[in-house]
Formats: sequence, C-alpha cells, structure tokens
Amino acid sequence: MVERLSFYLERSSPLHRLNPTTKLVVAFTLILVAFLGPGLLLPSLIFLLILTPLSFVGQVGREFLRTTVRLLLPLFAFLFVMQSLFYPGGKTVLFGFWIFSVKLEGVRFAFLTATRVLVMVSSFLLLLFTTHPGVLLLDLTQRGLPASVAYILASTLQIIPQMQAKAATILDAQRSRGLDTSGSLGRRIRALLPLVGPLVFGSLVDVEERAIAIEARGFRSSRPKTSLVEIEDRPLERALRWLCLLAIILALGSRLWP
Amino acid sequence: MAVIEIQNLTYTYPATSHPALREVSLTVEAGEFVAIIGPNGAGKSTLCYTLAGFIPHFFKGELQGEVRVAGQDIRRVRLEDWVLKVGLVFQNPFNQISGAKFTVYEEIAFGLENIGVPREEMKRRVEEVMALTGIEDLADRSPYALSGGQQQRVALASILVMQPEVLVLDEPTSQLDPIGTREVFQVIRRLAHQGVTIIMAEHKVEWIAEYADRVIALAEGRVIGTGTPADVLTDPRLPDYGIGISRYTAVARRAAGEGLWPAERRLPVTLDEAEAGFRAVEEAHAHLH
Ligand SMILES: Nc1ncnc2c1ncn2[C@@H]1O[C@H](COP(=O)(O)OP(=O)(O)OP(=O)(O)O)[C@@H](O)[C@H]1O
Ligand SMILES: [Mg+2]
Repeated sequence: MVERLSFYLERSSPLHRLNPTTKLVVAFTLILVAFLGPGLLLPSLIFLLILTPLSFVGQVGREFLRTTVRLLLPLFAFLFVMQSLFYPGGKTVLFGFWIFSVKLEGVRFAFLTATRVLVMVSSFLLLLFTTHPGVLLLDLTQRGLPASVAYILASTLQIIPQMQAKAATILDAQRSRGLDTSGSLGRRIRALLPLVGPLVFGSLVDVEERAIAIEARGFRSSRPKTSLVEIEDRPLERALRWLCLLAIILALGSRLWP
Repeated sequence: MAVIEIQNLTYTYPATSHPALREVSLTVEAGEFVAIIGPNGAGKSTLCYTLAGFIPHFFKGELQGEVRVAGQDIRRVRLEDWVLKVGLVFQNPFNQISGAKFTVYEEIAFGLENIGVPREEMKRRVEEVMALTGIEDLADRSPYALSGGQQQRVALASILVMQPEVLVLDEPTSQLDPIGTREVFQVIRRLAHQGVTIIMAEHKVEWIAEYADRVIALAEGRVIGTGTPADVLTDPRLPDYGIGISRYTAVARRAAGEGLWPAERRLPVTLDEAEAGFRAVEEAHAHLH
C-alpha cells in the first residue's frame, strides 16, 4: 500500500518549526503581491530572492527546484510560444521567420504570467514540503476550523491513494474477466464505465463504516478535545503575519492607485 | 454485580424481515471474560454492536426487550460519550482506522484527544498500550500501510488506550498467527483480572477453552448454550449448528465411539484434559494385561 500520503519532507529546519498558519499566510501574501504588485520583474524577484533561499533554509532546496521545474516547464514552453507569436496588439517585432513574427509585448506578457504562476505554484510547494498536513489542519482547528471539516480534509488526503489502489484492483478484476481497456478514447471511456459502480458504491459503504469507526473513538464526545502535538506560535510570528497583511494592502493600493 | 443484563432482546435491522437476534437473555458479571461463539451470521457482531450502543443509536431498526449495561438502559445512553464505558474492537480492523491520522502513534492517541486527556498522560498511555500490544516498532508507520495482523493490533491498542469498563472484541485475532493470538488472549485475561469486563466474539475454541471464564453459544440469533467452556464446547449439538469444536474434543469423541475414552469422563476441550483422559485409558489397559 502507499506509504507516502503528501509532499511533506521531514527535516529539522527553522522553516519546519514555523507555525503552519504563518507559512500559509506568507504563501498567500507572496502570491497576492506577485499578482497585484507593480513591475515586470516583481514575481521573478519574489521567486529568486525569497522563495528559493527559503527553500534552502528549509533544507528542501533541491526537491523544491526539481519539482517546480518539472511541474512548470511544459506549461512555460507552451505559454511562451503562444503568447510571443499570437499576443493580440503586439506591435514591436523582435524578429520574424516565415509567416511568424515574435513581438516584444507578447514576450513580456508571457514572462509576467509565467513568473506569477511560478510564484503561486512554488509557494504552495514550499508550504507543503515543510508542513505536515496533520499539523496544518490541527493548527487551523485550534483557530476555529470545525473539527468535522478538518477531519474531512485529512481523510480525503488519505483516501486518494486508497481510491487509486481500489480503482486499480477493480480494473484488474474487470480486465481478467475480458474487459478491453485499450483502443480509441470513446471505447476506453465505455470500458471504464463498469468501474464507476463498484468504486462509488464501495466508497459509500466505507463512509458508513468510517462514521462508526470515529464514533467508537469518541469523535463526537461532549468533552473538550486536547491534542497530542503542541504547535508553537511565537509573538514574532504574529508580528510577521500583520506585516503580511500590510504587504497585501500595499500591493492592492499599487493596483488601485498606480 | 452484573455489568451486563439482557432480557428478551430481539433486534431486527432496518429493511430486513428476519430478526438478527431473537429473545436473547444473558448476564455478565464485572471482571468476567465471556466468549461468544456461533457460525457465520449467528448474530455475534450484532450483539457486540448492541453493547456498544451502535444498536439502536446508529443502526436504527427495531429493538425489543431490555438491555442494561453498567446500570444504564442502552436506549437512553448518549452514544457520543458511551465510548468511555464500552469500547468496541471491530471485526474488520481496517474499518477501525480513523482516517484522520498519519502515523500509528497519532492513530492510537486519536481517541484520547477526543475525550480530552491531557498531553502528558496521553503520551504515557499511548506508549504503555503500544508496549502491551507489541507494536512499538510501528509507531511512525502509516496505519494504512500495515499487514492485517498489524492493523488488528493497532485497532486493539486504540481501544484499550481509552480504558473502557467493558471491552467488547469482535473476532480480534482473526488475522493473527498463533503467537499473536496467544499474546492477545494473555493481554485480555490480564485486563479481566484487573476488573475489566470482557465480551469476545471468537471462533478459535481451543483458545477460548483455555482462557475464557464462560462461553455463550449463538445460532440463528438465539442463545443455544451458556456455561463454562468445558460444558458448552463439548455440547454434542455444536456441529449441527455449524460451530467448530476443539481438535481435542473431536479426537476424544471418536475415541469414545471405539470405547477408548473413560466412560465417566467429560470430553476434553484442552490438550491437558485430553492427555489426562488418554493416560487414564492407557493405565486401565495396562491393568487388564
Ligand atoms: N447492517 C446490516 N443490515 C442488515 N442486516 C444485517 C446487517 N448486519 C448484519 N446483518 C444480518 O444480521 C444477521 C447477523 O449478522 P452478524 O453480522 O451479527 O453475524 P455474525 O455472527 O457476526 O457473523 P460473522 O461470523 O460472519 O461475523 C445476518 O443474517 C446478517 O445478514
Ligand atoms: Mg461478525
């Protein structure tokens, strides 16, 4: 069965020790500033001068860069080709070949969009690499997220690999009874339809069993809950979160009153 | 003092026509270790669910008769706090996994978090119970990435840690090898000696014969026998009901057919009893010659 349930990489770095909510707030702030803030270079500077160094502070630099590149390279290639060639209203032609001409406005637009997406994806990657999902959910629960919502999120994270395993099992079973899953797209979809029943029905049955399971562990007990893990939250972090709010307001201001 | 008192319990699941339990009456004393035997579909799990309050609070259906556990009418208890009194270990350990936790250690602590046990006590209890059930080395593993036997131990640990007054176990050793089974039976017996009341649905009659104080046999929802393991497990009707019997009983019964078992002696349920009986036959024969 699947042992790894999330992106989380266990290290003992200062970034790992930060309060999960602080990391969540910082990630959102960087994304908002990248999208709202002024200038062509701002998002790329955020990536190069904040996110990348932070990833090395968090001792996940190599994984961070590798995963980012792998996730985004195909998208960027596509973006640059499309936008530099077909950007509407592009006037400044940089160079041309055959019937195509690459325009400056298109390249600029592609660059800005690509680096913004880069900040968005990599901020979340860094958050996920350095934050245990259970701890993040626990912290949010302690800040008022209902325990049932946290439970649903946590169990969804766990269930995805299970569902994949189950789908594979059902598929194998159907195949061994002569189901053909190769061939054209339409044929493949039709072949996969018999998978839906067992998967959905099986999951519904699981839900009932799951409900009894957590009931048997006192999930709805009327006593106040406690938690195994203690999550630190230092005053400095609180200050940092206020600073983030300020940064968001400034970025918004720059957008509204340029 | 009777901890469990059931009188004329008849229960029918929703949307079914035949009762899963029919006119069941039984009492269990505090600190008693009672085993429930019966063929598939006899109603063992249904009885377990009733004691744990899932019937009638989770599975609605129709419940007739009286069920009192720890002095309370099961219809009147609040299911959400009943776990503190009665702990249930499910038949399928996979279904016991909360799904909310990422490691075995956290999984076992889950119940204690829910009932508000302070952190230091929580850690102490989790570590104690992991040692007791022999799963210390699984602490950091994902509860999903375990073998059936390991999951079964984790399921047991995660209920034991809550220290219920009454412990209901639904076939808790089904996926364990003989060594694991012995460990579980020993842990359970120790708890019974500490005053915990134990109800265990179980097929493995040879283990029941050695460890349980009393046996209740169910078939088609009815109680067909109750008494000491020696009495119930040698009941000649058991095979007719589809209930397995001990190898020792089976061998001695055939021997008795050939006149090779002392006539006045009860059939054996354990190895020791079988040995003693056959030795008596041997001596009697030696005497004749
Ligand atoms: N959720 C349910 N809804 C409807 N009928 C059920 C349900 N669970 C069990 N039954 C029925 O109730 C009867 C008793 O089942 P139960 O599961 O209690 O038997 P069991 O003795 O535990 O059997 P096994 O040895 O297979 O675990 C069976 O006829 C079964 O089909
Ligand atoms: Mg059962």
